[in-house]
Order: sequence, then C-alpha cells, then structure tokens
Amino acid sequence: MQFSSLVKRLRSIAGRDAVLDRPEDLMLYEYDAGLARSTPRAVVFPRGTAQVVEIVKLAREAHVPIVPRGAGTGLSGGAIARTGGIILGFARMNRILEVDLDNQRAVVEPGVVNLELTNAVARHGLYFAPDPSSQKACTIGGNVAENSGGPHTLAYGVTVNHVTGLEVVLADGRVVEFGGKAPEAAGYDLTGFFVGSEGTLGIATKITVKLSRLPEAVATLLAIFNTIEDAANTVVAITAAGITPAALEMLDGWTLRTVEEATHAGYPMDSGAVLLIEIEGLREEVEEQAEATRAVCLAERAREVRRARDERERQLLWVGRKNAFGAIGRISPSYYVQDGVIPRTRIPATLEFIAAVGRKYGFTIGNIFHAGDGNLHPLILFDPRDAAQTRRAHDASREILEYCVSIGGSITGEHGVGMEKDELMPLVFSPSDLDVMARLRHAFNPESVLNPGKVLPLRGCRETDASRHPGAGLGLEASA
Amino acid sequence: MSASPAATIGRELAALFGAEHVREDSQSLAACAIEGLLPAAVVSPGSPEEIAALLRLASERAWTVVPAGGGTQQSVGGVPERVEVVVRTDRLRAVHHYDPGDLTLGVDAGLTLAAVDRMLAGHGQILPLDVARPEAATIGGVLATAAHGPMRHAYGGVRDFCIGITFVTGDGAIAHGGGRVVKNVAGYDLMKLLIGSHGSLGVITGANFRVFTRPAATCTFECSFASVEEAKRFRDRVLSSPLTPRCLELLSPYAGDYLQAPPPAEPSPEETEMLPVDRGSEGWRILVRAAGSEAVLARYRRELKGGTTRELAGEEETRLWSAVSEFSETVMARHRNAMMVALSVPVASVASTLEAAERAALDNNFLLASVGRVGVGSMLLAFIPLLVDPPSAMQYVAAVSAFRGSLPRDASAIVARCPREAKLHFSVWGSSPTDLECMRAVKRALDPASILNRGRFMV
Repeated sequence: MQFSSLVKRLRSIAGRDAVLDRPEDLMLYEYDAGLARSTPRAVVFPRGTAQVVEIVKLAREAHVPIVPRGAGTGLSGGAIARTGGIILGFARMNRILEVDLDNQRAVVEPGVVNLELTNAVARHGLYFAPDPSSQKACTIGGNVAENSGGPHTLAYGVTVNHVTGLEVVLADGRVVEFGGKAPEAAGYDLTGFFVGSEGTLGIATKITVKLSRLPEAVATLLAIFNTIEDAANTVVAITAAGITPAALEMLDGWTLRTVEEATHAGYPMDSGAVLLIEIEGLREEVEEQAEATRAVCLAERAREVRRARDERERQLLWVGRKNAFGAIGRISPSYYVQDGVIPRTRIPATLEFIAAVGRKYGFTIGNIFHAGDGNLHPLILFDPRDAAQTRRAHDASREILEYCVSIGGSITGEHGVGMEKDELMPLVFSPSDLDVMARLRHAFNPESVLNPGKVLPLRGCRETDASRHPGAGLGLEASA
Repeated sequence: MSASPAATIGRELAALFGAEHVREDSQSLAACAIEGLLPAAVVSPGSPEEIAALLRLASERAWTVVPAGGGTQQSVGGVPERVEVVVRTDRLRAVHHYDPGDLTLGVDAGLTLAAVDRMLAGHGQILPLDVARPEAATIGGVLATAAHGPMRHAYGGVRDFCIGITFVTGDGAIAHGGGRVVKNVAGYDLMKLLIGSHGSLGVITGANFRVFTRPAATCTFECSFASVEEAKRFRDRVLSSPLTPRCLELLSPYAGDYLQAPPPAEPSPEETEMLPVDRGSEGWRILVRAAGSEAVLARYRRELKGGTTRELAGEEETRLWSAVSEFSETVMARHRNAMMVALSVPVASVASTLEAAERAALDNNFLLASVGRVGVGSMLLAFIPLLVDPPSAMQYVAAVSAFRGSLPRDASAIVARCPREAKLHFSVWGSSPTDLECMRAVKRALDPASILNRGRFMV
C-alpha cells in the first residue's frame, strides 16, 4: 500500500484534522525528551477504542509499525517510531470516564494527564499516587506503558501498584479486558504484566486505577549538608532508623545551585548537597517521624534542617525539585539524564564512582535523584552538535549503568528501556531470560507491528527464534 | 505420545538426580497425592538447573508435572487428568542476600515463611505474609498461589512487594525477571505473571522481596455490630478517616467459633462434626489493628470510641491474628466436607455479596462463616454443610452457582477447597474478567507441551 493512501484511510477513520503527515508537523513527534530521534511517517489522534481498533487493523494489514504515545515525556525513546510508521497520539482520548468514590477507583482514557486526575478527585480527599516529575504533562496511558514512578514511589509504589484493570486493543485488533475494579481476578495477572510493557503487547484504551486517600498531615524537610558524602550517608541512616519517608530526594551542590539560580526555591548556594524529605500520615505519626528524621540528619552532620511551615513553603521547596531538569536546560546545550538504580546502602560509593566517570570523560555530571529508593539520575552535560562528545556521553553513561548493575542494581528505575537501553538489557538479563520475554511478546505481538525495536535487544534475531517456538502466536486457530 | 509406565519414570529420574532424591514409596506418594491421584514419583531437585533438566525430560515424555512447596495449598485447583511427577522445592532453601539497610531480601523458593520471619525478626523487619501454616508454607508456594493474610490491608499483596523472581518454564528454560532493587522497570514484569499462576507456567525457584520495618507496638480494637450493613458503615468510616490501620478484618457471626482454639492436627472423619452454636446474638465484628507509638494508639482509641468492645495487646493479640490467618485450616480440620471460597470483590460490594452468599448457603443447607480483608475486598467464605451425612455434590454446585450468579462485574469467587466429587461438576475457578484467550496464549508460550499442573488451572 502506498503511504499516501494509508494516510487517506487514516483520515477516513479518525477524521481529516486528526492525521498529521507534513514534515514540519512530524518533527514534533520525533523525540520524547531523551536523546534518540526518529521521524514517524504519520501521526493519528483517535477519538475512541473503535477508531484505535480500525487503525491497528489497517497498520497490520499494511505491515506498518504503530507506536502509541502519550505526552512524549518518557526520556528513553519508548514513544518514538524507531523504524518509522504511525504514531498513535492519545491527546483526544483524555476523558475521565468514571470516578467511583465507593470503590476508590477511577476509569480513565489513556490521554488523561496524570495531575488532572488528582485535581479531579482532590475535593473528595483522594488522589492518584504515582507522581512522575513530569506529572503536569505526562499521561496515565504513558504511565501505564512505562510503569512510571516519581518521588513518592518510596512509600506508595510505582504505577503498577495502582492499576487494577485495563481495556486493551491487541495487535490483531481484538478488544480485551484484563482485571477490573476488584482487588484481583481469577487467572493470570495480565494487568500487572501489561503495565510497563512499553506498548509492545497491546494498546491500553481504558485504565482502571486505584485512588488513594490524601494523608491527614505532611511534613516537608530540607536538610542541608556541607558535603555530598554526609547527605548520602544520611539516606542510609534514615531507613536504618526505621523511618519510611513518603519521599526522599537528593540534589548535589552543583545541581542545587543551578536550580536555585533558575527557580529561587531558597536552596543555599554554598552547600554540598540537600535532601528533600517528606513524611506523610496520621498527625501524631508525622510529628514523631519528622522529629526523628531531623535528629538523624543532625547526627549525620546536616548543617541545618528546615521545615516548611505551610503549604506555600512546602510547594516552594518542591519547585526546585520538580523543575530541575528545565533549570539545567538553561545552562547546557543538552544533557543526558540517566536512570540507574542501586541498593540504597551503596549511594555513597556510587556517587564517588559517578564523579570519577565525570573526571575521566571531562563532563560535568549533576546528581538529582530519588535517594530513598536508590533511583539515580546523573545528568551528563554535553553538546549534542559535537559527534565525539555525544559518543563520549553515551560511553560515560554506559559505564555508570554497568556499575549500577554490578552492585545489584538495574539500568532503569522509571524511564523504561525504550530504544535507548535495549542493547543494555544483556547486562541485566541472560539470553534465556530474554528469550522467555521474547516468547511472551511474540504471543501478543507476533508480527512486531506494535512498537517494534523496543525493550528487547534487536541483535541475535530473537524475534525469529520466538516465532519458531511451539507456543507462538495469540491466534485463535492455535487454541481451537 | 503416551506417558511412560510409572516404574520407568522413577528409574529415569533416579538416573538424573540420584536415587536419594527420588521417592517412590507409597507413603511419600500418598503425601503428595492430588485429589487422591498418586504420582509415579516425587523428586527433589537441588538447583534450578536440575529442575530445568527435569522439565525438559518431562516435556519430551509428556509427563504431567505438579510443582509443590509445603503442600499447604495443594487442595486448590481442578481435578487433574493424571499426575506423573511431583517436583518439590524442599532442597532449595538458601538465602541469597539480605541487607537490612537496603530492606531487600533474596531467597530460594523452598524456604518456609517461618524461617524467613525468624531471620527478619532479628533485625526488626518483616515480610508481611501472614498466611496459614507458616512453618510449612514456602515462599514459592505463596507466590504461586498469591496467598495473603490480614496484613494485606496495609501492605498490599505479594504482587506489591515481590521485586524479582527466578523460575523454570514448562519446557525447561530458566528465566528471571525483575531484580534486587525496589524500583526497576527493565524488561517485562515476570513476577506479576508467575504470582497467582498456580504452578501452571513454571516452577518458581527463588524470589526477591522488599521487606518492611516492624512497627514499634501494635494493638487491636474489636468492634461489634448487629448487621453486616452496620459493619460496612463502620468500615467506611474507618476508610475515610485519616487512620491507616495495619489490618481491618471482618468476622461473620459464626466465624468466632473458628478463632478460639488451634485447629486439631488431623481431621476427625468419624466423630460428629461440631457445628458452631448460634452466635447470631454476637453479631458481626471488625478487628482494627493499629501500629505505632503510644500517641498513635491513643489516637485510634479516641477515633474508635464508642464502637470498641474489646482492646487486645501482647500475646492475646498475636494469638487472635494467627487464628484469623488459620481460619480456613481450622474450618477444614473440623469439617472435612466444608467448601472454602476465596472471594475478590470491589470493596463497595462486600456487604451485599456476603448477604448473597448467606442466602445461597442457607438455601442449600450450608452454614456460612467468613473472615476477610474488608477494606480491600478479599474475603474467605466457609460453606459448612449442615448435615452430618456427606452432602450431595449437587448441593455444592447449586450453592456455588447461586452465589456466583449474584456477584458484581469484575468479581472472582474461586472454590479453594471442596470435596472432589463436587469439583467434578463445576469449575473451581469460575469466571474471570481477564481475557481467556490471552491467558491461553501465555500458557502456550511458557508451557508449550502443557505438562504443568494439567487440568488444575483455569486454562
């Protein structure tokens, strides 16, 4: 099929104004705030499940890849069309279909913006707990695809802990349901398995989420340290004291100065590192734990521990954290944000390692991360117009991730594998592990129409191996 | 391909794993029987690699394989067509890593929950899996059956804190998913797939967990109600309050009888099965377990004022919660013909569902006793036959279909235990909102020869 006639058919499915195919429009969809770029052939914005079904069937018939995309904030290339093809944008499927207060559930379309869901239920004392730093922009569908986290995952878990049901369009256009509003369903937990599959198993068109009750009290502390080592040791000391903060974030000295210049959040310019600590729960509990946390910080040589006195001060402390990436964008042509994870007791040693990598490659590397759960975000500052620098940035980041894995960590904590780290998967998984994952993908996505070239490494013809597997395919004929 | 004769199976396995790890004596076989079906051999491999070799061989020979941990949940599932090999994890008992500072733990599947508990207790930490028979129940078995106890209310189910898994697929591939860190999204979430798959996708050989800090102190408030409706209103009040109890458990009027004494070690087939006396006057109860400092406990006391009939702490409290965890065991020990249903229902439908269950029970000559996580929507219902004579299979079928017919959308009611004769007449799994074709595709992908627990799971 000619691509132009495919575009014509897409328009007949979704409407004239719901399809983009001019080069200047497509450019906007060639990246997702990460480094990788790839231009799609067309972008289509369906209005409902029925249109998604039509589009998937069309793409399958024409052997054109189809890539679902929320707000494009994923940072790992998950939502870009690596091998070309059609991007399925969910901007028009953004309705909150149901808020079920009695069951503390909401049913939403994938294009609903994360923070909008929280805003919509806040007056009932509820909220949607997963809060990626991009929560003002990112969509629930994207959160589901990437199993996104955020500062509060330390206490409340990642997206998968808050999704109980899905409506999914499969690669063959069939619409199926996984789970629902009940805590669990008989049979395999395909809801849990689907979350984090990065658009390679199917396309979620309705999502049932848990809503959480807003805590009675919140204490937000800013602990200021002269050295990054003291801050790193404090992270370990806090959990060792039996305190589980709702969030425990760290910014190193370089990062906090850069952030402070841009946001005026009130971070001290001369400190070595700060910890942003949030404690939530019952009033009595919060008071006790806030005091205990302050004591631990001071014992671990914090220079000062500030506590937000009201919501305005609290928001101000968070402004710095949540806008940090933007602030750094002001001073560097580009930066490469990494997403490695380590056991939290290894934070001090890992920060030393990262500093050494920075010196070795001649890069400034900032650190701003979810210290409580060991999810690092080293920011490697470089100029992407310089090919040699770009290569070195990749090498430096690979060295950091290899170190993370070598001490029992992982290559991604919340941004996903996407197309940025598929070749790093063998660092974490054996060929046999990857083969089993490939079999499962093949069961759902046998022709690789859905988001090809993501999650699993392309090398080694794994997709071919999987298609020869006796259990291959989702086809009805095989089970008849 | 037809299955090999029993004697050959034992010989082949002994050649692979050493005769000392293969049992064929009638006592061992009887101990591992599934619904009265004796396996040809019981084998205890020493490593995932040995399990892989076993499953490759079994796939070739078309032997049906049943994975087994402590055997505490082998009564769950349909009646298998046949059973050739039971593969036990009793030799897989290593602790791979435990760093209290990281709050993570990695263990082999054959380790018992009690052993894990003892290790964690030394560091003031817990794995919140307060399931029945912790001295026998294994990590692998709990994962395979997604078992949970009252702490499910605050900590979530095992799906929420299992962060890594190793298993062997039906065709003998060793696979691991997840890892050792709390936050990790590399690769497909194989933990979710294996948890609750009831041994139909692979043999779980090990897992990693996030562990939690043991609270400084706990106490339990018991609150009584005249009706389930009244109990529900109280539950809603607690759920919409700032309180975050550790457990929130509903007990039906007849449940109390099964929370008194520890269950007898052996069921007593001949003796009269003592039915609970009428405790209608005692009504429904909700147990609220609070954890934290004295100030926090005092806050609970204030908030629950008026509703509380009893406050328990220390030994007495520990005993009560362990009895709640053992509810199903106690019922089965006293009534060999009882039927246990594991119910998962949207939380707003708990009361109406229990009323429907009560009607279905009475209409079919059963007494209903239930306990469960009323704030989550996970209940255990015991249908206890009123007659001393063995009730007819049709009585179970009628009760189950009447009850299932009244369930709201998305709910599941799995018949976890009931007499074999009844099992032959209905699906113990019931219906599921989750697409069956997709489940079958997953099963084919991981167990292509369909040797694992054949006939016992829903696909």
